Amino acid sequence: MATAALEIEGLRKSFGGVLAVNGVSLRLEPGRIYGLIGPNGSGKTTLFNCITGLERRDEGRVFFNGQPIDGLKPYQIARQGIGRTFQVIRVFPELTALENLLVVTQGDRAAAMERALELLRFVKLEGLKGEFAGNLSYGQQKLVEFVRMLMRDPSLILLDEPAAGVNRTLLNDLLDAVRRLRDQGKTVLLVEHDMKVVMGLCETVFVLDHGEKIAEGSPGAIQMDERVIEAYFGR
Amino acid sequence: MNVVITPVMIGQVIISGILVGTLYSMVALGLALIFGVMRVINVAHGPLLMLGAYATYFLYSAFGLNPYLTVPITMLLLFVVGVVLQRTLVFRVVGAPELASLLLTFGISIALVNLAQLAFTSDLRAVEYLTGSYIVGPFAFSKSRLIAFVFAAAVSGLAFLFLQRTKLGKAIRATSQSREVAMVCGIDVDRIHLFTFGLATALAAAGGALIAVIVAIQPEMGGVWTFKSFLVIVLGGAGNYPGALLGGMLLGLVEQLASLFLTTQLSEVVAYLLLVLVLLVRPTGLFGGRQT
Repeated sequence: MATAALEIEGLRKSFGGVLAVNGVSLRLEPGRIYGLIGPNGSGKTTLFNCITGLERRDEGRVFFNGQPIDGLKPYQIARQGIGRTFQVIRVFPELTALENLLVVTQGDRAAAMERALELLRFVKLEGLKGEFAGNLSYGQQKLVEFVRMLMRDPSLILLDEPAAGVNRTLLNDLLDAVRRLRDQGKTVLLVEHDMKVVMGLCETVFVLDHGEKIAEGSPGAIQMDERVIEAYFGR
Repeated sequence: MNVVITPVMIGQVIISGILVGTLYSMVALGLALIFGVMRVINVAHGPLLMLGAYATYFLYSAFGLNPYLTVPITMLLLFVVGVVLQRTLVFRVVGAPELASLLLTFGISIALVNLAQLAFTSDLRAVEYLTGSYIVGPFAFSKSRLIAFVFAAAVSGLAFLFLQRTKLGKAIRATSQSREVAMVCGIDVDRIHLFTFGLATALAAAGGALIAVIVAIQPEMGGVWTFKSFLVIVLGGAGNYPGALLGGMLLGLVEQLASLFLTTQLSEVVAYLLLVLVLLVRPTGLFGGRQT
């Protein structure tokens, strides 16, 4: 078996007495798009935070391209090639769109500038590069956040609800971009509530409920899974 | 008191207000940076300013250096002190509840003041280098205050340009706008914190160095500077760096104008009343701060 892009073994994280993630294991093969779904409070964002190092896991291991990354600092994890967007968009509002992209890089300035301009062109925001990110529309901020995440050319991309609050046109552009990234060999894991998006995009879907993985499979199979239906529609 | 207030007197206090206000701006910018980037209210900011004042005093009295030439040396020395404090103590309370950082920096403050009393005694010390005033028309400019103004304006201006223009400055601002995102984007926030605390301490130290030439110094001189800096960042809006610069100017003007109409003791009260008023009416600061 080839090395997994991301492998999580028995991840556990609790806050006080609440088990947010309870022994989750999952494996992402490179170059595929995965979905992570589950009711509110099922531990999806906590799982993202544990992968990116924002939260320290209580137990379990996380391997990125076969190398352990649990215990590393968030910036070290980011520099290894894991990019992430947030559920509520988070641009740096008082930096310009262009500065938002440049500020996250190290090293060669000319190369960074070239890449930043290329990415802004990619999402048709080149004309707004000098505008403060806080003055952009919601959709534009979402795009800035998305391309800022791409600045380091990450090989694993974590998207937290990319479809939330986005109009159809923009959403289709974003989804196309995600597919293109997958075609370039990148691995994508996305949390999403919009089932149409999940079903149309993901090859494999993981379902979390109360911090546990209750199902894993193709979108079609997941929709038929009794435990999943139960988790969503009550028991 | 029956004093006639003439336009010249008003002009004079406005000049004095701007001169001292610039000093407030520079020192407060340091406190604003630490709060903006780390959400830490650094009660030790004033005592660090005091250390800066002593550094200049000793460089002047022991080595005979021109006190104005000591400003960059003092800043560099205290930059290192700031980095060491951050590396050993303050990093522990970044991200912790505010009470933890208040207690820690309060402790550092007490320790610094007491160490200074042990090392330097409580005697008043003065850098008697520049006395007297320049007279221009009806106005008098205290020489040491005028030069302090020039230095403070230059240092604040450079610090501000650094934040606006340089890569590191932008990373500092990004971290202060969202620490979590900065981390996830690959910014080494620990390094940013070290540099920020060093820079902020150097700004306080520059204040101390300049003040040492204006008034006599002693180990407890810092407390009032912590308070005034705090007042300035409340006026300017927490986390708003241009606001801190404007807030300092405003505080200087208000204090000086109040001294025209009130006794010295009462005019000190005005600054504190201003703090209460701003917190009641516009808690995000006069120039719009960030909600956190």
